[in-house]
Amino acid sequence: MRRWQRMLPVLALLAGCQAEPAHETATEVRALRRDVVTTDPADPAWDEAPEYRATLLLQDMVEPRLLAPSTPEVRVRALTDGARLAVRLEWADAAPDDLPGPARFSDACALQLPAQAAADVPAPQMGEAGRPVEITYWRASWQATVDGRPDDVKALYPGAAVDAYPFEAASLEPGSPEQVAMAKRYAPARALGNDLAGPREQPVQDLVSEGPGTLRPAERARSDGRGRRTPSGWAVVLVRPLSPLHGAGDTPRQVAFAVWSGENGEVGARKMRTGWVPLRIEGAP
Amino acid sequence: MARVHNWQIGRDMSYWYPESRPQKQFAAVFDTNKCISCQTCTIACKTTWTSGKGQEYMLWNNVETKPYGFYPMAWDLKLLERLGPQSWRDGAYQGRTLFEAAEAGERVLGWRPEEIDYAYPNVGEDDCAGGDVEQGADFRIPHDKWFFYLARICNHCTYPACLASCPRASIYKRPEDGIVLIDQGRCRGYQECVKACPYKKVFYNPMTGTSEKCIACFPKLEQGIQPQCFVNCIGKIRFAGHVSTPAEAREDNPLDYLVHVKKVALPLYPQWGLEPNVYYVPPIHVPRRFLRQMFGPQVDAAIETYRGAADDLDLAGLLCLFGSTERVVPRWKRTGDVVIGMEEDGSEIVRVPITEPIFIRRAFDAARGVTRTNTP
Repeated sequence: MRRWQRMLPVLALLAGCQAEPAHETATEVRALRRDVVTTDPADPAWDEAPEYRATLLLQDMVEPRLLAPSTPEVRVRALTDGARLAVRLEWADAAPDDLPGPARFSDACALQLPAQAAADVPAPQMGEAGRPVEITYWRASWQATVDGRPDDVKALYPGAAVDAYPFEAASLEPGSPEQVAMAKRYAPARALGNDLAGPREQPVQDLVSEGPGTLRPAERARSDGRGRRTPSGWAVVLVRPLSPLHGAGDTPRQVAFAVWSGENGEVGARKMRTGWVPLRIEGAP
Repeated sequence: MARVHNWQIGRDMSYWYPESRPQKQFAAVFDTNKCISCQTCTIACKTTWTSGKGQEYMLWNNVETKPYGFYPMAWDLKLLERLGPQSWRDGAYQGRTLFEAAEAGERVLGWRPEEIDYAYPNVGEDDCAGGDVEQGADFRIPHDKWFFYLARICNHCTYPACLASCPRASIYKRPEDGIVLIDQGRCRGYQECVKACPYKKVFYNPMTGTSEKCIACFPKLEQGIQPQCFVNCIGKIRFAGHVSTPAEAREDNPLDYLVHVKKVALPLYPQWGLEPNVYYVPPIHVPRRFLRQMFGPQVDAAIETYRGAADDLDLAGLLCLFGSTERVVPRWKRTGDVVIGMEEDGSEIVRVPITEPIFIRRAFDAARGVTRTNTP
């Protein structure tokens, strides 16, 4: 956090402004039951849900570690329509980082659930062998693509000059199956079907993990989401389906969160994260 | 961390994974004395592998002018400075390798190039620094003003820093030939490998969000053909093959002969501890202090051996095999004034005379009624 951000409360008092009304400190994430859930971070429905303030911890348990703390907390509100869990994460971030590039990293966030609810939860750091966790991950650079940034290097580097690409030769009709297939061959990760290699149609990705270093795409993409800049940072909605495996009735449920600050070089294991946080879903099956 | 043996530094060292050498190790010898920095290798690689979107700035192969040139900027200087003292005693490295010098929370000592560091390939690097060149300076060896060309590809290291640094094991070393590859289906673009590779031969592709690197043209090697940057080299400075450990070196293996028997080809920055597998014949006209830092303490002996090649028919012969065939030459022998490259089973691939035959023709061609001119 920038120094000026830390000074804001002091400045507010000096100016005689009334501080934000004190919230009752929630001790769990409580998802309010609603007929529909929204992916819009600005939807007024979120104001009705209690806010849980999750203190973020350094991921300093496995290499590569994050040793200097960055984002101090993430504010969480949750809604459910009985079939899906929608969570809005808000955190302070001085500048948006949504451009990929060498030594450039995207702002991002994620929520994590045990794949199977139980009193004895898997390790909060990415699960354990045989005890997987399910993750819904959002990345600011994907959001920019979904919001219309072209899939072209000139969208990342407006001053770039490119003479020619073999797959855009005049002899190839743009958009023809041959042209599309050739373009894919020149993007190895896309040719191999890497789920993150884009161009993304969703700003979120469904992932499964059974311990650090084992992260893999889920068999099916089921989550939805949307992120928006706020005056002080990001507000991101993550919506994911609930299954009976995630808990029924009064089964204790847990959820965990992570935030990456691109400006701080955070990526992969280098992140701010929470431990397991109690999760209550109103009217859950 | 495991304990492994690194013969290039003459001692055991720490590495993230236990020692696991491939059945064969892809390796190469580059003779820096023959490189003219024409960049044909660079273009051959570029047009073959990195013509896609997001690959525009990638140079899996590059040639830079030392000591002024870098791609990316100051790639080696930044690390030399960070690593601290790098001394040798009796052939054994006394300092710390990049794995042993890893900072808290890291697997490897590294640094991350930024976009600007990739912005000036070859710009201004042939402009000699250090004032005017006085008349007669060219008669003094080594020259006051000097530079040489350093061609670089991925070193397909025995102990790759990129592989060690990847938190999700997306990088692997092929057991059959030791080529180091990034699984493009598994990579998540964390750029830990970009940070860790001291030679900066891993590049991040911003369009696919994954990191990419030299693949040693493995589809060609699998057919017994040398990579693109080798067969297109007009200076014939490159020779591809497989290198053994010193204990298993064979005299009839060209790479083993140059690296282990004659010790005329040396690894690049061996003190970093990766056991890189591209070996360089050091440039003979460069101050030795600079070369010792770059190629280790064997430099003086290597240059002496190389200078003696005129009187060493075996060494001279083997150097003549460079660029003589597209095929990988696993075995070789010399018969009189002829050097022969062979397949593993002994069948002949190529035959090259060590002394090129001289033809003397009359200046005036009476049959055609023209006067010939010499074009050396």
